Amino acid sequence: MKWLGLGGVAVLALVLSVALGPTHVPLGALATSDIVRSIRLPRGVLAFLVGGALGVSGAALQAIVRNPLADPFLLGLSGGAGLGAVLAIAAHATGGWAVPIAALAGALLAMGLVYRIGLVGGAELDPRVLILGGVAVGAFAGALTTAIVSLANAVELRNAMLWLWGGFGSASWSSVWVVCAYLPLPLVALFAAARPLDLLALGEDPARYLGADVARVKRQVYLAASLLTAVAVSVSGIIGFVGLIVPHAMRAVWGRTHRALFPAAFLGGGVLVTLADTLARTVVAPRELPVGIVTALIGVPAFALLMRQWTAR
Amino acid sequence: MRRRAYRTDLAGLLVLAALGWEGWGGQTPRLVVTDDANRAVSLAHPARRIVSLSPATTELLFALGAGDRVVGRTTWCDYPAEATLVPSVGDGLNPNIEAIAARRPDLVVLYRSTLDLRAAQQLLQLDIPALVLKQDRLEDLARAAQLISRLTDDTMAGDSIARVMLATARTPASALGISIAFVTWDNPPIVIGRDSYLDQLASLAGARNVFHDMAAASSIVSLETIAVRDPDILVTIADSAERHPEPPAYVRAPAWQAIRAVREHRFVVLGGSLFGHPSPRADSAVRELRQMLRGAR
Repeated sequence: MKWLGLGGVAVLALVLSVALGPTHVPLGALATSDIVRSIRLPRGVLAFLVGGALGVSGAALQAIVRNPLADPFLLGLSGGAGLGAVLAIAAHATGGWAVPIAALAGALLAMGLVYRIGLVGGAELDPRVLILGGVAVGAFAGALTTAIVSLANAVELRNAMLWLWGGFGSASWSSVWVVCAYLPLPLVALFAAARPLDLLALGEDPARYLGADVARVKRQVYLAASLLTAVAVSVSGIIGFVGLIVPHAMRAVWGRTHRALFPAAFLGGGVLVTLADTLARTVVAPRELPVGIVTALIGVPAFALLMRQWTAR
Repeated sequence: MRRRAYRTDLAGLLVLAALGWEGWGGQTPRLVVTDDANRAVSLAHPARRIVSLSPATTELLFALGAGDRVVGRTTWCDYPAEATLVPSVGDGLNPNIEAIAARRPDLVVLYRSTLDLRAAQQLLQLDIPALVLKQDRLEDLARAAQLISRLTDDTMAGDSIARVMLATARTPASALGISIAFVTWDNPPIVIGRDSYLDQLASLAGARNVFHDMAAASSIVSLETIAVRDPDILVTIADSAERHPEPPAYVRAPAWQAIRAVREHRFVVLGGSLFGHPSPRADSAVRELRQMLRGAR
């Protein structure tokens, strides 16, 4: 029943994203409209896929670092992606796929660095080391980004900042296909690790006694979740709070079993980002808000509520 | 030392004025104007060392015949060519007070923005007079010409340049029947709205900016809004100063094909400083834009 409900909401979010827009397309013309086919539909689908990727990635990372505050961007990926994108923009390499590829490269580089830090002294991805390493790498990349932005010319500066806030302004079918081709591998890898992740929630030692290959699971989950985030950030910029709040909201309904949590987080994240993007496109039409601002406006109050619950416990 | 003395004089003058004592013969500021931030700017003598913190005012100063008094400019001031020989004091938007002060200016001309207002305040504390000017439309620059020329004590030049610019601003060319959209960025797509010089240029050239209803100078919109507003020609802005730059690469992206002007390959690419800000060359900017739009139709 709850699956049916979530599926229904997901379909509704996608339908709304296609039916609503800054301009009026009559309902009867939706199927034939060029605007719907080449702009709204790929944009809605891309928003859903990116939201789903961030939701799953957040759920997975919260599980391996066993920290409710973990989100896909806590581990330095956003800093790396932002640095890559801003470098490309500052170097005037803005055509075609240059910015997404640079962002992806930046995110992967940051991921590699944090991963390396996580292995320091045979630590085997100690959650505390991972989080500290992520924050440190993110801060370092952020400092470099700010340095470049402050030295770049005024227009580029503004545009780079807009990129960092995230959005689907350049969504097209080709970006949808790229994401579609890219998502299955990390998603399958995470789903395969669902059972050991449940055990890991008990602590690393109990999980080991119960037969989980803890080190391998952590490596696999960390890499897969980071890859998900990296591809999301490369096509849409940094969309915050989705990976933080969606897993918590879904855990409240679906519990802590990752086999159910992952699909739920995918759908939940997709719904949130698709709706946020629809709002971003329509509330100030014909102008548009960066979608990262909308998710933050929804996410921050939700986050505050979450914290109140935890402290009340 | 001299500046401190001047300040004392000013204080004294205020006291005397309060006492109603007229006919006092001390040194009074001869040149006083009220700038666009509503600040009174007064100079005891015509400005001889001027730092200009925007390309528009740098060009204007040269047009006013005061180019030899410009002792500092921004990195972006590239017109006229002589301007590039003047030392740069930085990028102008977030002014480096120390670099400006090092040029020992007796007048600093700034663009009206929050950061620049703060800079003007800091300059005042160093006893450097700062003139804050709105420079968004041709009328603003005409007023700027008059205010600056008061302070360089060459009002004739200022008034005549202002007249020329106002005449350009008041006589739009006949309508071309062409609608256009100015696109300055692709991801997210950013277009130019009403409160901008480019919008003014478009209407003076006889074209209609399809985003004229948007009050802001520029704004993010979605591709579909551009597609539905259906401009005949897409006008983009090139960084380079070359005469006929290529359209930007993003117009080849599939999503942009939803826009008719992109499909029909109707682009005008504006390069160089001629279109970037209001200037005494507005007349040629209008003519050139009109010609390019006709050519692209």
